[in-house]
Amino acid sequence: MEAELAQYLTSKIPGSSGMAISNVFRIPGGASRETWMFDAAWEADGHSHTGAFVLRKDPPASLLTTERELEYSFYRAFEDSPVPVPRMRWLENGSTALGAPFFIMDRILGCDSNANRIQEAEYTPVRDALARRMYEILTEIHAFDWRGTEIERVIDPPAPGECWKRELDHWERVINENELSPQPIARAAIRWLRANPPPPPQRVTVVHADYRVGNFLYTPDGIHGIVDWEMAHLGDPLEDLAWSFMEAWEWTRDGRKGGIIWAEDAIRVYEEASGTKVDREALHWWDVFGSVKGQAIWLTGARSFQDGKTAELMMPFTSYWLINFQDEIMLRAMGRGA
Amino acid sequence: MRPDTPKVLFGIAGQLLVQIMPEVRTPIAGQTLTLSAALLSMVAQEFDRAASRLVEENRAVRTLLADARGVVGEPSLRSRIDAETADLQEHDFRVSALQAVNDRLRTLLTDVHAEIEATPGDVAANLNERIWDELKESTRRRHLASGLA
Repeated sequence: MEAELAQYLTSKIPGSSGMAISNVFRIPGGASRETWMFDAAWEADGHSHTGAFVLRKDPPASLLTTERELEYSFYRAFEDSPVPVPRMRWLENGSTALGAPFFIMDRILGCDSNANRIQEAEYTPVRDALARRMYEILTEIHAFDWRGTEIERVIDPPAPGECWKRELDHWERVINENELSPQPIARAAIRWLRANPPPPPQRVTVVHADYRVGNFLYTPDGIHGIVDWEMAHLGDPLEDLAWSFMEAWEWTRDGRKGGIIWAEDAIRVYEEASGTKVDREALHWWDVFGSVKGQAIWLTGARSFQDGKTAELMMPFTSYWLINFQDEIMLRAMGRGA
Repeated sequence: MRPDTPKVLFGIAGQLLVQIMPEVRTPIAGQTLTLSAALLSMVAQEFDRAASRLVEENRAVRTLLADARGVVGEPSLRSRIDAETADLQEHDFRVSALQAVNDRLRTLLTDVHAEIEATPGDVAANLNERIWDELKESTRRRHLASGLA
């Protein structure tokens, strides 16, 4: 891949020559896109330059089917905003350069991202502060004025009253298209969701849609990048809050959300930082919705593997491990669990 | 006599983690190896119980459907219940065959559940609770011990 990347970067950086690519390796995770790290060094304008980059490349199939241009646009929109994001460099919608579409962004150096790493002793003194910051940043995402940005170009904004229905319709369709076996619990949840819709949000905001521990870059000094925007859209901000609380992300299995904060503490931070009151009934609706959406994602991975679209073992793993777990979570969310 | 299939699969998983993992040089290869071991452990559990789980569940769902027949008003739904409960015996014990029956039964259960939810009265309410109990039980039947060491 080094030669292809060198050729591509040379074509994108005006006046560059002697492009050298090194330290190319793929990192684990990246369930929707392959994520690669690499370094580059080149000459331009009589000077030597270096760069550390992240490549997000479309896989043959994944847990999600998302638009790379959409993800790229959300990253771009948040550059230079209070929400920390890596700087986007190049978006390539063709497959000529690397065999599949991709985009390249700057790498934020020296950060952790793993959901388990934040549980380690080094982070004990700063874990509460990081958790608080996580929810302060969420309010900044939701306060972001998306009108007139690249987001408006790639997304048709829903009316406030349409937010829940647009998302539910989408994820029900994903289940319809991907379930390998009937999903009676998810179907019951969908019926409940349709019969008990939430009130419209006060305003339609950016929804990151995968906001949780594991999807931000951090050090003991703070949070330095919000990543994995592949499901981002415009909608009801409570969707993000509920998703971040999902039991599947309770990495410490003691009820703390994301393994780092109790739900009531997170809601208090969110309310203080946003100046809004969280509607608990609406939050519950989005909690049940999150379980349906989670199930739709695991079912997509299962279908991709079953149909031979991917050989990535993450897909059967998530289906063996998470589909039944998600059903258990869904039952509990609906007050029907153990 | 040869070792049981689950024993073999668990053994392979253990060897992958103990013998091969220390030789792995890249994070992505490490992840692939960990997932392989976890999957082998989960498949080992499922291998041993799959037929038993499906026979038990198919019987439970058929019983529920038979009891629902008198509550369900929709004629086409009643016909489907009749068809699925006419013969309560399994005739093919291959897991794929049992799974195909299970898929049909749970599709029908989903449709019956929707109908029952919309039906007033204590009998329907009681049946609704029994369906929820079965759905809860279905997750217990599928529960796997952690596949990750």
